Amino acid sequence: MAPNSNKYLRNDTGLAYLFNSPLIIITLIFVFIPVVGTLVTGFYRDVTFMPNKFLGLANYERLFEDIHFWQSIQFTVLFVTVSVMFELFFGMIFALILNETFPGRGILMIAILIPWAIPNAISARIWELIYNFEYGIFNFLVIHSGLSAAPVNWLGSPISAFFSIVISDVWKTTPFVTVILLAGLSTIPKQLYEQAMIDGTNILQRFSKITLPLLKPVIVVALLFRTIDAVRIFDLIYVLTGGGPGGSTTSISLYAFKYYLNGDFGYGSAISVIVFLVASGLAILYLKVGKFTEMIK
Amino acid sequence: MKKKYLKWLIILLLMLIGIQCGNSSEQFTIWIGGSPRELDYWQQIITEFNKQTGYNLQLVRQPTYSDQRRQSLVIDLEAKQPNPDLFLMDVVWLNQFAASNWLQPLDKYVKDNDFQLHQFFQSILNSVDKYKGNLYALPVFLDVALLYYRKDLLEKFGYSEPPKTWSELLNEADKIQKIERKNNPNFYGFLWEGAQYEGLVCTFLEFTSSHGGGIMNNGKVDLYRKSNIEALQFMQDLIHKYKISPPSTYTEMKEEEVRLSFQRGNALFERNWTYAWKLHQSNGSPVKGKVGLTILPHFKGDSSVSTLGGWHIGISRYSDEKEKAWKFVKFITSFKSQKKLILNVGWNPSRKDVYKDKQVIAEAPQIKELYYVLKHTIARPTVPYYSQLSDIIQRYVNDCLSGKISPSTALQKMQNQIKEVEKIYGTE
Amino acid sequence: MSEKKLKKLLIYSGAFFMFFFCITPFVWMIIVSLSEHPDFLSSNVKFIFTLNNFVQVLTSRSVHLLAYLKNSIVISSVTAIITTFLAGLSAYAITRLKFPGKIIIPMALLGFSMFPQISIVGYLFKLLTMFGWINTYPALIFPYITLGLPLALWIMLSHFSQISTDFDNAALVDGATRFQILLKVIFPIALPGAFSTFILVFIYSFNEFLFALMFTIDYHARTIPVGIALFEGLHGQIPWGYIMAAAVVATLPVIILIALFQRFIIKGITEGSIKG
Repeated sequence: MAPNSNKYLRNDTGLAYLFNSPLIIITLIFVFIPVVGTLVTGFYRDVTFMPNKFLGLANYERLFEDIHFWQSIQFTVLFVTVSVMFELFFGMIFALILNETFPGRGILMIAILIPWAIPNAISARIWELIYNFEYGIFNFLVIHSGLSAAPVNWLGSPISAFFSIVISDVWKTTPFVTVILLAGLSTIPKQLYEQAMIDGTNILQRFSKITLPLLKPVIVVALLFRTIDAVRIFDLIYVLTGGGPGGSTTSISLYAFKYYLNGDFGYGSAISVIVFLVASGLAILYLKVGKFTEMIK
Repeated sequence: MKKKYLKWLIILLLMLIGIQCGNSSEQFTIWIGGSPRELDYWQQIITEFNKQTGYNLQLVRQPTYSDQRRQSLVIDLEAKQPNPDLFLMDVVWLNQFAASNWLQPLDKYVKDNDFQLHQFFQSILNSVDKYKGNLYALPVFLDVALLYYRKDLLEKFGYSEPPKTWSELLNEADKIQKIERKNNPNFYGFLWEGAQYEGLVCTFLEFTSSHGGGIMNNGKVDLYRKSNIEALQFMQDLIHKYKISPPSTYTEMKEEEVRLSFQRGNALFERNWTYAWKLHQSNGSPVKGKVGLTILPHFKGDSSVSTLGGWHIGISRYSDEKEKAWKFVKFITSFKSQKKLILNVGWNPSRKDVYKDKQVIAEAPQIKELYYVLKHTIARPTVPYYSQLSDIIQRYVNDCLSGKISPSTALQKMQNQIKEVEKIYGTE
Repeated sequence: MSEKKLKKLLIYSGAFFMFFFCITPFVWMIIVSLSEHPDFLSSNVKFIFTLNNFVQVLTSRSVHLLAYLKNSIVISSVTAIITTFLAGLSAYAITRLKFPGKIIIPMALLGFSMFPQISIVGYLFKLLTMFGWINTYPALIFPYITLGLPLALWIMLSHFSQISTDFDNAALVDGATRFQILLKVIFPIALPGAFSTFILVFIYSFNEFLFALMFTIDYHARTIPVGIALFEGLHGQIPWGYIMAAAVVATLPVIILIALFQRFIIKGITEGSIKG
């Protein structure tokens, strides 16, 4: 036994900090400072064309009375729930399929990552083109198949705009969920299934008794990050609807962006903090339900 | 073992630092956005400027979208950076930038003997380029909204001139639409921008101001008045009652949608900015040679207006090359440069003398009408929190256009919400 | 055995649906990039095949698309490698070593990632100008690392926590150091996770827009998403042909990367499931 390893077995803490140090340092400098800055700014009137003033909770009080803010919260929560539900559903199915061997699986694997690979701004534009009133594919198909006599204005009413955005987002990010779930699926040993098949179980039983429980950690990860990203959704909506019609598709991030653009950093920061709180709330919910933290101890 | 680990870390770090292949910020820069073609032309202008002066002005390209350009500038100027030295600003940001103390006052520079301040449109300088009495920017190019019309169709139906009032327009559009629909079911009488975006504030401003109303009244926001209610009602009726404008007006119609539809021959009248003219007259355009342009109509008893658009140039207060920057401002607003701009990229000059130049008139005859319209422009509210106002106005006007709320309700709500905004941002 | 047949049917029909679901908008993008007029689906415009869009986009002197591509690839690769490595380090420490406050790290990272990017941009900008990094690769690499770390850490955590410590103990008995164990024992087993992490972080960095817009000035460090934004015309005149052509150029390297890695992932998957 080399003398070195003994030293480290006894001094776990030192080694742990060593291993963690790059991550900690980078995070402290590039994330922690800006985040603290944002928190602090939320308590001030920080408007580029007005003198700064300490406001205490005034920004938050103003948020409380702000109907547009609540509208954006409502939209965001709804959007997050519906999108993530669909993404999890499709992601699971896709991952299950990709976990099997069949000819053309490699090609499918590539195909599945294409939506995710396309830059956000581009995919938003592609969908904008697809939804286009005059020459988009959807209207082309709808009219030529006789489903409707007149072209549909997909992005024109709050409900259809909402679902149009959801479809675009689901298309774009289901690959993300799929990849994570697939990596998790691949660590489940095939023997377990073989044994269960011999024992005479059917597909559904195998899925619920073997697959789901073993997948729980990755499902939680996927859910967690999809939710956080969905709460902060910005690019897609900015391009597709700009937050309309009537502000009905304005997400909280988009709402915050408007204030930053106009030079009101204080209010924008306060909104950002709320985004953080909403996302945290959901995250804590997932973690409690998924009992994830126990895994680490 | 610690050594091996450290070795990896150091390699990584070196990799990172070694990849530092980028330039540190240039010394003398200008930030401009636009289409690649326009930026190519800007580069030409700047190269010529550099040749003449021996300076080294660098062009930094921004994306085309107004918001993205503003975002970069806001962050940069808040951080008090010495670059950019110069930048272009949309006319609606001017007040925000001036009020935020980011612009260098130009008063002492324009007193130069060789700078002909009187050649600029004084009403425009006074309404948008000045802040608390000082001059902070100069217009580089101006934009106005026009009424485009199908000459051929009007002639065919016996109208020798484009309509002067909204009721005339309504009559003509209604009559002609009924007949043209027989051949072309997509035909509409009047296309204009009604989607929920900044452009809607412009159309709203035009309709209301041409009825004796408008957004501001004696320096204060005054939306809830009879003239505005009637004007907004007219806008709503165009879509739902008279049906000479399509329902897509309030869901989709922005500049390009309007232009494309008109260009395909699907409309009699169009309200759009000056850029549409060149495209309508381009080769392959189905309406080439059939289009006329004039000032927008007004309501009987009032006068026509157009919203003022365009881009202005300013010098950063934090610039470290202010003298050189001023030389460029002089250069770009000079007669020579302005003439080149209109002849090469179709940008409407900010100086009056170019509008009178024979060559310009010959090659761009629409300039005469533009000159007239430029004397009848109205600016959107010049307050630093204009964007908030715009958001509120957009929202409720669009809701009204879609038929959800009445004009009266819309205007009242707008007024109330704007009062709230003024309370927050108006204390100076 | 009808269950097997049913399963096969489900898989094939599912795969079919998947394929079309993912591919169609992408194919649409390619078609438009090869078309003279983007609005060829409306009544009076025809589809005309042309390569002109690509020519214009690749040779445009004012938009150095290929330079942007190079920047994007380098920045994303470096970010992905470092992020995966650092995440692996920390995940190892958290799942294998005893130390106080271990739960804080993933939680804090998660918490920070919940702030909208727009709120962080201003401060980061000031920081980066202080370092003099604006318009250089590090200006994007470091922020991207922080963007990717939360996800990378959690993925690695969920994988490492499934790997039994027997492996570590066996290697420790053989006299290996922790670092060696991480590199030579754990990483190989967690290969699917590591590759997933790498690809996800790579793609995320490749497509990021806001930071790229704010922290770079010209083609020395600008990335593809910003480059594509520079193609759009005024008044929302969107030159669809050019944009789609640029998009095809932009997504090609990522697709090639995926095509290459896809074999490794499947390899990692099949090997992973053999280990019982």
